[in-house]
Amino acid sequence: MTETAASRPLLTPERVEMLRDFVPFIAISLVILMFWAISGDRFMSVRNWTFIAQQTPVLMLLAFAQLMVVTTGSIDISIGSNLAFSAFLGALGMLWFGDAGLILGVLAGGLVGMFNGLIISLLKIPSFVTTLAMLIIVRAVVIIVSDGTAIYITDGSVSGGTNISSVAAPWLLSMGKFPAIFILAAVVALFTWVFYERTVFGQQLRAVGGNEKVLRLVGINVTVFKIKVFAAAGLMVGLAACVNLARAGAATPQAGLMIELDAIAAVALGGTPLTGGYGSVVKTIIGALTLTIVRNGLTIAGVPPSWSQVALGILLIAAIAISLNRSKVDVVK
Amino acid sequence: MNDQAAQPLLSVRNVSKSFGGVQALRDGSFDLHRGEVLAIVGSNGAGKSTLIKVVAGAHVPDGGRIVIDGKEVPRAEHSVSHMQERGIEVVYQDLALVPNMTAPYNLFLGRIPRKLGIFVDERKMRSKTREVLAQLNVTTVQDLSKPISSMSGGQQQSIAIGRAIAWGSDIVILDEPTAALGPNETAEVERLVEDVRERHGTSFILISHNLDQVRRLADRIVVTHHGVTSREFRRDEITSDRLVKAITLGE
Repeated sequence: MTETAASRPLLTPERVEMLRDFVPFIAISLVILMFWAISGDRFMSVRNWTFIAQQTPVLMLLAFAQLMVVTTGSIDISIGSNLAFSAFLGALGMLWFGDAGLILGVLAGGLVGMFNGLIISLLKIPSFVTTLAMLIIVRAVVIIVSDGTAIYITDGSVSGGTNISSVAAPWLLSMGKFPAIFILAAVVALFTWVFYERTVFGQQLRAVGGNEKVLRLVGINVTVFKIKVFAAAGLMVGLAACVNLARAGAATPQAGLMIELDAIAAVALGGTPLTGGYGSVVKTIIGALTLTIVRNGLTIAGVPPSWSQVALGILLIAAIAISLNRSKVDVVK
Repeated sequence: MNDQAAQPLLSVRNVSKSFGGVQALRDGSFDLHRGEVLAIVGSNGAGKSTLIKVVAGAHVPDGGRIVIDGKEVPRAEHSVSHMQERGIEVVYQDLALVPNMTAPYNLFLGRIPRKLGIFVDERKMRSKTREVLAQLNVTTVQDLSKPISSMSGGQQQSIAIGRAIAWGSDIVILDEPTAALGPNETAEVERLVEDVRERHGTSFILISHNLDQVRRLADRIVVTHHGVTSREFRRDEITSDRLVKAITLGE
């Protein structure tokens, strides 16, 4: 290790390969150290980390949904609209059927996802175009159904005016706070990890991303599988929508605007190539966390929001430039 | 026609197939006997690939019959999985491997063993893979957790062949098995074929452009010409001259 770079290069191909695997971890460590150095205790405080722990779960669940789809080589950019739709149906469900009606939110997410999958598989329209159309349509449906108004979740102590829809559900609001939200996120993360890394379904996600034609050749029904993948991703979005409902305390027609881009960024920051075939749940968690921390750190450091968006964009390009293994990716489009 | 008393393991009769008005295969007929290596040769576009894809179940023929072990395959059962059930496996020219997945995954492609219904039984996959590699006398594949794209062409080929023989299939179709390989790896694959045939009595259908290889491996040779299986030779009556004439001129 003490040899000079001239006599033996420090970055052998094997080491570069190993380093790539660790890029998400190195990136998050650097980001934390940087903000600690800049903002000191205002960043590195229990209060702020509690805030980060509350802020990350929704993005993390959306990133999980995106990870499943991206691993197969497709993409789902409709998840922001789906989030608003599912949260609204969850809130409506609670209005109609009481607490258990929240499940309607999860199911609504799965339904939108299944619809995506059906269009992509049966009409053979690329996922980007399909989900772009659904992004527009589903958002419009939310606005139509909600008539532009929100449904509020209250703790029961305040009652709004007569023309404001609200549901008294203190339990849901407490689910949106630390530590409940953190525990819930951890449990979902664990299940997702097992699902993605250990099940036949999870393995098939990677295989479809690797060579779909071969799977068809050996008689695997890839068409049905893809519908299931988008439906599973949709269910995850529905779950994220319920968590978001708990955090925000309201289902609004504007919920989740542009958040699909954050979810894609989190997946990419986690070193998952958008071309499919590879992916990691743990690194996707790190990716979602990194994104949240950077946004949080820049705000604390007093950087105006527009500039922090610029910084996030640069971070994304830098992380992918380093972590993407080009030998695994044939064509860059 | 062959005068052997035993009924053929596989009998293909007057099979035809066209794609959008283009007749790729007009009249494909041949017999395959147990434990034999049958080569199908012909120039590009002569219908070889179409013929074997019909046998493999990847294409449904427009006409003709396929009889396996004396039983005709019903029309509705011309699919890959039905042909696999009848013991027919294919090693495709491009190997049909999933590049980002491991050797065990590729060996078990379409047959992934499960634990508790939903989990992958990794241990079973690994031990079976080692078993199959040992059967094939392949010692060069060590790390079973690596994606198969990181392995050499010969190693990938041995996994593709391993997949075809691992499930006790009676008939293995080899589509240009060594077209992309160097001389050492070609010799290795030929050794594998001889070995498997001797030990398991597996029958092979070999598609190859390499006439020397065909003469080394095949017991009989069927020549296709303009979509028709026009000529048949036994190993002892093959000379390169006659073979080349049959391939290029149809006679």
